[in-house]
Amino acid sequence: MLRMRLFPSRSARTSRSSILASTLASTLAIGALALVLLSSQAFAQKPADKPADKKDRKSTGAAAGAPAAIDVKPIVAKLKSGDEGQIKDALDEARLAGPGGAAAAPVVAEILTRGMSLPLTQSAIETLGDLESETGSAALAQYAVHRNAKVRRAAVKSLTRTKGAAAATAMKRALSDGDAVVRGTAASGLGAMKARDAVPELFVALDHRVNEAAVSIGQLCNVEQCELLAAKLGKVPFDVVTGGLDQVLFRPAADVNDDAKVKIVGRIREQGTLEGNKFLKDVQKRIVPAGFSPRVRQAIDQAVMATAGGK
Amino acid sequence: MKLIGATLSASIVLAPVLALGVATASCASDVSHPGTFSTNWLDDQGKSIGEVQARLKNAPAGAKADLVVAVAGPKNDKLIGLPLSGGANWTFQHALDARPIIAGGVVVGSGNGEIFALEASSGRRLWARPSGGVALLGAGDDGTITAVTLSRGTGSTILVVGRDGSVKRQIETDKAVGDPAVVAGVILVPWSNQYVSAIDAATGDELGRVTLRDKVSRADQIGGAVYFGEVSYVRFDDKIRMASQGGANRVGIPARELPGTPRLFVPGTEKLPAVANARDRDRLFARPSAPEGPLGIDSSRFYATYFRLVLGFEATRGQLAWVHTHASDLIGGEAVQGGVLLCDEDGKIVVLDAKTGQVSFNGSFGEPIKSCVAHADTYKALPGPGGAAPLALQISEAVLNREASLATAQRLLLRELGTLEDESATKTLVDIASDPRAAPVLVTDARAAIATRRNGAAYMVTALGRHYDFLRDVLASPPVGPIADALAAMNEAKGAPLLASHLLDPADNDDDIRRAAGALATLATKDELPTLRHFFAMYRATAESEEVGLAVASVGQAILRLDPKDGRVLVDHAAKDATTVPIARTRLEALLTASPDKPAAATASAVDAGAPDAAPKK
Repeated sequence: MLRMRLFPSRSARTSRSSILASTLASTLAIGALALVLLSSQAFAQKPADKPADKKDRKSTGAAAGAPAAIDVKPIVAKLKSGDEGQIKDALDEARLAGPGGAAAAPVVAEILTRGMSLPLTQSAIETLGDLESETGSAALAQYAVHRNAKVRRAAVKSLTRTKGAAAATAMKRALSDGDAVVRGTAASGLGAMKARDAVPELFVALDHRVNEAAVSIGQLCNVEQCELLAAKLGKVPFDVVTGGLDQVLFRPAADVNDDAKVKIVGRIREQGTLEGNKFLKDVQKRIVPAGFSPRVRQAIDQAVMATAGGK
Repeated sequence: MKLIGATLSASIVLAPVLALGVATASCASDVSHPGTFSTNWLDDQGKSIGEVQARLKNAPAGAKADLVVAVAGPKNDKLIGLPLSGGANWTFQHALDARPIIAGGVVVGSGNGEIFALEASSGRRLWARPSGGVALLGAGDDGTITAVTLSRGTGSTILVVGRDGSVKRQIETDKAVGDPAVVAGVILVPWSNQYVSAIDAATGDELGRVTLRDKVSRADQIGGAVYFGEVSYVRFDDKIRMASQGGANRVGIPARELPGTPRLFVPGTEKLPAVANARDRDRLFARPSAPEGPLGIDSSRFYATYFRLVLGFEATRGQLAWVHTHASDLIGGEAVQGGVLLCDEDGKIVVLDAKTGQVSFNGSFGEPIKSCVAHADTYKALPGPGGAAPLALQISEAVLNREASLATAQRLLLRELGTLEDESATKTLVDIASDPRAAPVLVTDARAAIATRRNGAAYMVTALGRHYDFLRDVLASPPVGPIADALAAMNEAKGAPLLASHLLDPADNDDDIRRAAGALATLATKDELPTLRHFFAMYRATAESEEVGLAVASVGQAILRLDPKDGRVLVDHAAKDATTVPIARTRLEALLTASPDKPAAATASAVDAGAPDAAPKK
């Protein structure tokens, strides 16, 4: 079974790889596994999801590339057996089935809601995440406030994959959790699940050193919000801010226009630092000319030259 | 009985280091009087001291002083006088090795190898004598002569100096003498912590002596009377003759818990450093009520200072009357008629009204100071402006002050607060217990006090509305457990929804969860059932502590009460399920046994066979 890391690194400084991982997560949300293999450049250029995509997927049950649905009756029977061993087996089988076993999600959610031992609880939470069915979100949201931080982390992580209104609400609340990992996971997850209304909260989180919020802001911000993110340069660690700005620069023009991107490049250029130069050069390398705005590219090229002798 | 052998003369014990004018204490010549500082004196049942008191009773009053003197300057070599009766401040520059002493009409100081006296009203230098570096202990003055006591380490010297600076007499003794008073040429000098000897300054003879039942190292003239003591005041009046039998007029302050270990007086045998130390920030002040008539404490108040806090207490039973929170540390002062005068390290003087603790006077030395001494014979504090805040609010202000040095006093005040029937006291306790910056000991005390409160429910319910919120900088949960205890004791159901919401707050500690669930067992209504069921299901098999396991049982109890039909099925299955944590199972089984109603057959059949519990029917 394919086991993918859906979350960016939780390290204080968002690494480039974590940014990519986070971006991947948002893309995987539409179930197009083939996209994993695409280059980051092409990925960054990909237009944002259209509401119709999700609708179509839900109605058909399996869009192109989505795993085929399996017969979950044996799994459901075991889940309802009340026997710990059988439940454990059923959860394992459901996880192996992945989104193809989504039909088992309501029963997993039901037994989770009724309460189980800690190991089974953990397993059920992870299973719901693997099933990627929104029907699991309500049950997972309940466990996003469990006293055990590991349970909360697992619940928030799974919510990122089950999505839906219940997931978004729970994850926004999780930004205020006492556990830094839960906060970071929630911040990343909100970006991955395209929770645009969470951007103001993500800014508050960023101000509270939830660094993962920067990437999500970069994925979700409108022009004004993207400029606010760029204005954090010099106030928030460079790597953290540019983790988000990197996302902005590769978003489609329909999402963030060229003016905004050129302004962002200008802000980085104004810093006149070597780290700014390094970042811009990295962006420069990843640009695929086709589909990337020549104007933004030119701004990047000029900024790279201008910051070459930076501090 | 003549005790020649016990009488000391200057020629025997004069320390060579003390290069002062030579005088000699003459030998006692009257058999009815004790030898000076003799230790084989037999108590004369007050006879000799009675005679001295009778002789001095109508003596002309010496100079009086209403003055505050501060040590200031970067080298602690500046004296600033602030007359309380009006007039300009005066200053005098001199090196200082001890705290100055106000005695009658003079201010006595020492430093740079000499002892000097200044006119109290003007700061004008009256005289100076070489001291050889011995320590200044005390001074008394009757307007004509000044008696200064000095410590030589193994003994003491009493130096009697005239206004012109001439040494009238020098008495040496191997005894530890304290701070003297002088009345009409008679030096009243405490010694060996139990005696006060009356010494004729002109002859050096000991005219009389009294044995006190209280520790005594100071003789002070206050408002026209002389008092002896250290831990209390014994008045030098016509009852002094009965002092050895405990019959003298005496007044002290009641024993009670105070912040730190404050002293009413520093022992008169101790040299006080020129610069205030920690002990000066932790003091007691009280003033005897009157020179005549029944002896009490002025205004029925005594005062304790603790850094920047001033506590006013009722003088007979020691009840806290008021609390004043000052802007900076208080380092000295004096009880005055109708109040207390205090100096702070910024050089400010404040007089607080005895009755209310309100500020009735503000003064200033004009610069930061290192220490201060005060004497007020006639000065009287004005009443405060009125409208003083209730005691609970005064305590709140003191307790919410974030100065770390105040923690000891704040703990005491918290306990006082817990005894007040004022709802605002509850609010303060809740505020402290919710404050992440409060000292942990204060939080612990406040939590304990909240649990015993039986008022202020509205404040408690408001507090329960707060939850830990990292993004909103609410970094401490309210004291959920203590509030739960109090609300349950008050049967205050308004708190139930908020208590229930805390069951699902992972930031609350396990003990708080246990207590919240305990309160909900009696307070919860049907409106809280969904939350109770959520908690019950989530933790019955995942509770990781005994407290949360007990909380599950309490919530089960609430569910049974609120939903006897479906709730019983839920609890029954949990009690039978092996995955339910043992402590919860045991309790739940006991609950079911105590209420033996059988679950409805129809409901039971709806439960999946072997399923841990049944979802509630809606």
